[in-house]
Amino acid sequence: MPDALQVPLWRAIAVFRFASMAFVVVSVIRNVRDYTHPVAAVPAVAVLVLWSVATAALYARPAWRHWPLLLADLLVTLALLLASPWVVGRTALDSGAPTLAVAWQAGPVLTWAVSGGRRRGAVAAVILGAADLLVRDKLTQSSITGLMLMLLAGVAVGHVARLTVESEQRLQRAAELEAAGRERERLARGIHDSVLQVLAMVQRRGAHLGGEAGELARLAGEQEAALRALIATSAPTAPGPDIDLRAVLDRYATPEVSIAAPATPVLLPAQVAKEVGAAVGAALDNVVRHCGGGARAWVLLEDEPDGVVVSVRDEGPGIAEGRLAEAAGQGRLGVAQSIRGRIADLGGTVEIVSEPGQGTEVELRVPRVAA
Amino acid sequence: MTRVMVVDDHPMWREGVARDLTEAGFEVVATLGEGRQAVRVAGAARPDVVVLDLQLPDTSGVEVISGLLAAVPGVRVLMLSASGEQQSVLDAVKAGATGYLVKSASSQEFLEAVRRTAAGDAVFTPGLAGLVLGEYRRLATTPDQADDDGAPKLTDRETEVLRLVAKGLSYRQIAERLGLSHRTVQNHVQNTLGKLQLHNRVELTRYAIERGLDDA
Repeated sequence: MPDALQVPLWRAIAVFRFASMAFVVVSVIRNVRDYTHPVAAVPAVAVLVLWSVATAALYARPAWRHWPLLLADLLVTLALLLASPWVVGRTALDSGAPTLAVAWQAGPVLTWAVSGGRRRGAVAAVILGAADLLVRDKLTQSSITGLMLMLLAGVAVGHVARLTVESEQRLQRAAELEAAGRERERLARGIHDSVLQVLAMVQRRGAHLGGEAGELARLAGEQEAALRALIATSAPTAPGPDIDLRAVLDRYATPEVSIAAPATPVLLPAQVAKEVGAAVGAALDNVVRHCGGGARAWVLLEDEPDGVVVSVRDEGPGIAEGRLAEAAGQGRLGVAQSIRGRIADLGGTVEIVSEPGQGTEVELRVPRVAA
Repeated sequence: MTRVMVVDDHPMWREGVARDLTEAGFEVVATLGEGRQAVRVAGAARPDVVVLDLQLPDTSGVEVISGLLAAVPGVRVLMLSASGEQQSVLDAVKAGATGYLVKSASSQEFLEAVRRTAAGDAVFTPGLAGLVLGEYRRLATTPDQADDDGAPKLTDRETEVLRLVAKGLSYRQIAERLGLSHRTVQNHVQNTLGKLQLHNRVELTRYAIERGLDDA
């Protein structure tokens, strides 16, 4: 558990213990003549001083801030408190004389609160407060006030302690995230400067040589594109539910598929961007199905004032005029149909243009809906 | 013989490109790994074409391109990048680069791009066409730019041509589809770049005047 921020709290408790110890010693010296058993006050004060020194030393070590010491702390304080009627005497106590623990008894309340939060602080305050009331025969206003103050101290300090733990954890998480981000950037730069360059080189030389080397070149090209997509740190987009359609489409970039887009973000509501992305994916799948695995394709994204236009073009043989309408009429345009469906749901239109010798072009228009 | 300078921080890549260029009959006048060094050397090496990696360790592509154009007026810059760093490619084009190619292009594509750059043609990838289209769109819709007559606009024909380039059609295919000559298509593409570069220079000058930097 992170506890750097708790160190000052523990130190403050030690200071409180010594200050209240001094107060107890002074009050014992002033009142010792009226005690029923004045000699017994000596070992009681010795225990008080020794315990103050011992806890200050032990609580300074995080390993000791657990149940055994916390319980011992509470028991020692209870013992001093319960010994008070015998040492001090009932009559003196009832006429308002302080117990042997007085303010010092708040020490365990604070340690419990800092170690375990509000609830634990309140429990310690109630136990010690009850004992304090028990040693007196009648309830006085001051002993009730003392109990209330101890209860409040336990709850307030517990609350502060919990806050420090939480903010410490939050701080650490933020630091970790930042470190991860920096490391990711460093890796991306490194990969960019070395591996990507070599892969591009292999691709280029290999393609020149042809044959088996050409195959290697093709693989290198694929890996280059995949790696590049992996290290691409997406540009921070505007806050809100909108996402950048460019980032969605960039995932389709391969050596065979070119993605052309503006330099500035094309923001769309996440759901719309996802649907457009899926439609483009379907169009690209269609290209592979009709033109074969190595077929090239070009995607163009345009950001118009009233909507976005995405075109997907391939270099296939094209579809003869009439064939398209015929196929659509027979309900055989499966993929095209799914593209149309998706885009129609967004209030957009799909146009399929095919020119013999210049491939097929699917143009998706999606209106920008005023939010 | 066309004089070519190669600027790339990756030695293996630099040597490979230089060898390809020499084999293809270009004169490689210098190969360098740093942008600032390239700007210093350019004045003496007097290249016709600079093949420039957009990701150099010491300085930005825009800075190198401005430096090169100042040192050797009229030099043509062909940018290469390993990945589509979109904004940096667009910035480089606005700064005066006339060609762009991804590093994964084949040797033949690369040599052809150098040849065309040397001849003064704009070398576009579909990705670059998409960026340029987006930039004109941005200029038209940014309020303080749109009111201003100085903001460059594309003609309908230029938009049509750029869209086809972005969709991967070759100039020949575009010429065929639109019933234009190959040369006309090339001019349209080149104009789209020229207007952006001019606008960029005007903007820089205006910015300088507004800030009073022209007094210095």
